[in-house]
Amino acid sequence: MNVAWWCSGTGQVWTWRYTPFIGVWLVAAAFIGSYVAAHRRAGQPLDRTLLRRWCLGVLALFVVSEWPIGQLGAGYLATVGVARYVVYTFVAAPLLLSALPTWLIDRWLPFGSRRERAVSFVTRWPVALLVFNVVLFGTHVPVVVDGLKTTQLGSFSIDVLHLSAGLVWWWPAIRRERARNAIQEPIRAFYLFASSVLMFVPAAFLTFSPLPLYGLYELAPPLWLGFDAIADQQAAGIVMNVVGGFVLWGIIAALFLRWARDQHEDDEVTRRAENVVRLAQARASSADRDEP
Amino acid sequence: MVPRRSLHRPEVTLPVPRPLLLLFAALLVLLSACEPSSSTAFTATNLGVGDDGWRGIPLDLDPPRTLPDVTLTDVDGQDVALAEDLAGSPVLLFFGYTSCPDICPIHLRTIASSMSALGVSTDQVQVVFVSVDPERDTPERIDEFTTAFDRNFIGLRGDIEVVEEALAQLDMPGPVVEGADPRGEGELIGHPAQVIGFDHAGVARRLWPFGARRADWVADLPRILEEWTAERGSGRASDDPQPLDTDRDVEGLPGSHGQGEEQP
Repeated sequence: MNVAWWCSGTGQVWTWRYTPFIGVWLVAAAFIGSYVAAHRRAGQPLDRTLLRRWCLGVLALFVVSEWPIGQLGAGYLATVGVARYVVYTFVAAPLLLSALPTWLIDRWLPFGSRRERAVSFVTRWPVALLVFNVVLFGTHVPVVVDGLKTTQLGSFSIDVLHLSAGLVWWWPAIRRERARNAIQEPIRAFYLFASSVLMFVPAAFLTFSPLPLYGLYELAPPLWLGFDAIADQQAAGIVMNVVGGFVLWGIIAALFLRWARDQHEDDEVTRRAENVVRLAQARASSADRDEP
Repeated sequence: MVPRRSLHRPEVTLPVPRPLLLLFAALLVLLSACEPSSSTAFTATNLGVGDDGWRGIPLDLDPPRTLPDVTLTDVDGQDVALAEDLAGSPVLLFFGYTSCPDICPIHLRTIASSMSALGVSTDQVQVVFVSVDPERDTPERIDEFTTAFDRNFIGLRGDIEVVEEALAQLDMPGPVVEGADPRGEGELIGHPAQVIGFDHAGVARRLWPFGARRADWVADLPRILEEWTAERGSGRASDDPQPLDTDRDVEGLPGSHGQGEEQP
């Protein structure tokens, strides 16, 4: 059985023979293990909802990094490669981030620590937007894809970059601690929307380029006889645009609706409180009038 | 006495224990050193532009190599004398086999899609596929294979001795069995991995090794039409024999697939 650390474009003929990626198993185990261990060390009970989110995030990472999806995306099909990016950035990152309780972040990133200052800097929303887009554009440049994805270390580095940029980018939008750069509506909606629009640029390059951009996928052993590298690339652009866009806009819509609902509830509470005051005042004035 | 550095340093708990991180790093380095061997001359770069503007590698024309003087059979059972029947318009000749998992379909697909993108027809540039695996490659199978790329690509077969003779006339190595196909489809066969370009007079002018991308063909096909066709190319300065570009070529024919150079 072939064993490798991480998926990469090897140029080998594709076979349906299982190739475990040791790195993927280890990373998944480390993610779950460190989460549980952090709770135990802090003497905190595991919140089932948060644990479920954390496990789903790790599962998303695992599924798209392990064989066969990891291998297909890293060395055979640009469509799967972009789908992996979408899952890393728009599924795994927000799930992982939303699974962290505030006390755990306080423990990992105590205020005033060097690490906290670094995280605080990169998660300011303009910086996070910049980081996300630099990584998005930088890791889809042909010379980077062709150069790095052909080695396990390079491919691993790209995946780490995608996840890290995803975490940085989601941080201000998902975390609710204002002291930790959380942003509120309507800036949050603008922030997410701006990213979705910027994502159209590399997606458009993929969709409308008359030539295959990536030699990695163009020269990979074809999975089927009629395989067309341009069709694959166009599908990759559509995945980035449509699937990425839908996921993102779905999340924007959900966050916006939640915000609108919260606003509505706040208004309702305020209105009720005002009504109570008015009613009390009316009763008081009525009582004054009734007094002889 | 408390060390000075720790005075203002908040206590930080790493999300992952340090020994585990070190183990990760060690494993990463160890396993990344165990890259699986590549099956093909795997390259993700274009051929690059030569001094003359072409992407294909020029061949030494002294003495010139011409279309092999052999007769093969097409998928309809008709005899095709390469030297006579193919001369008259430029030819892209490739030796491969239909069970080939990588180089053959990649080359033919790239040529077909480039011709389609440029609107170049097979009347203008003939694309010829010669099987080096006549045992498995029946006419029906060759027809199915070439049609998957372009129904006008010419598929030829013949006795292995004839195919070897054709290769020998082009100074190319003959086919060799390289071992079992990892997909379980019989055996892999080593064969020359280059597409050879012949002008209208049947003289081999350039070759495109494996790694030629659509961008390379899109750049070279107009030049083939411009400089290698009978009515337009004859007498042009560019038709004069060109010396072998030693910077871009190696002794003999570069990029052979097989003969121990590339292990599927």
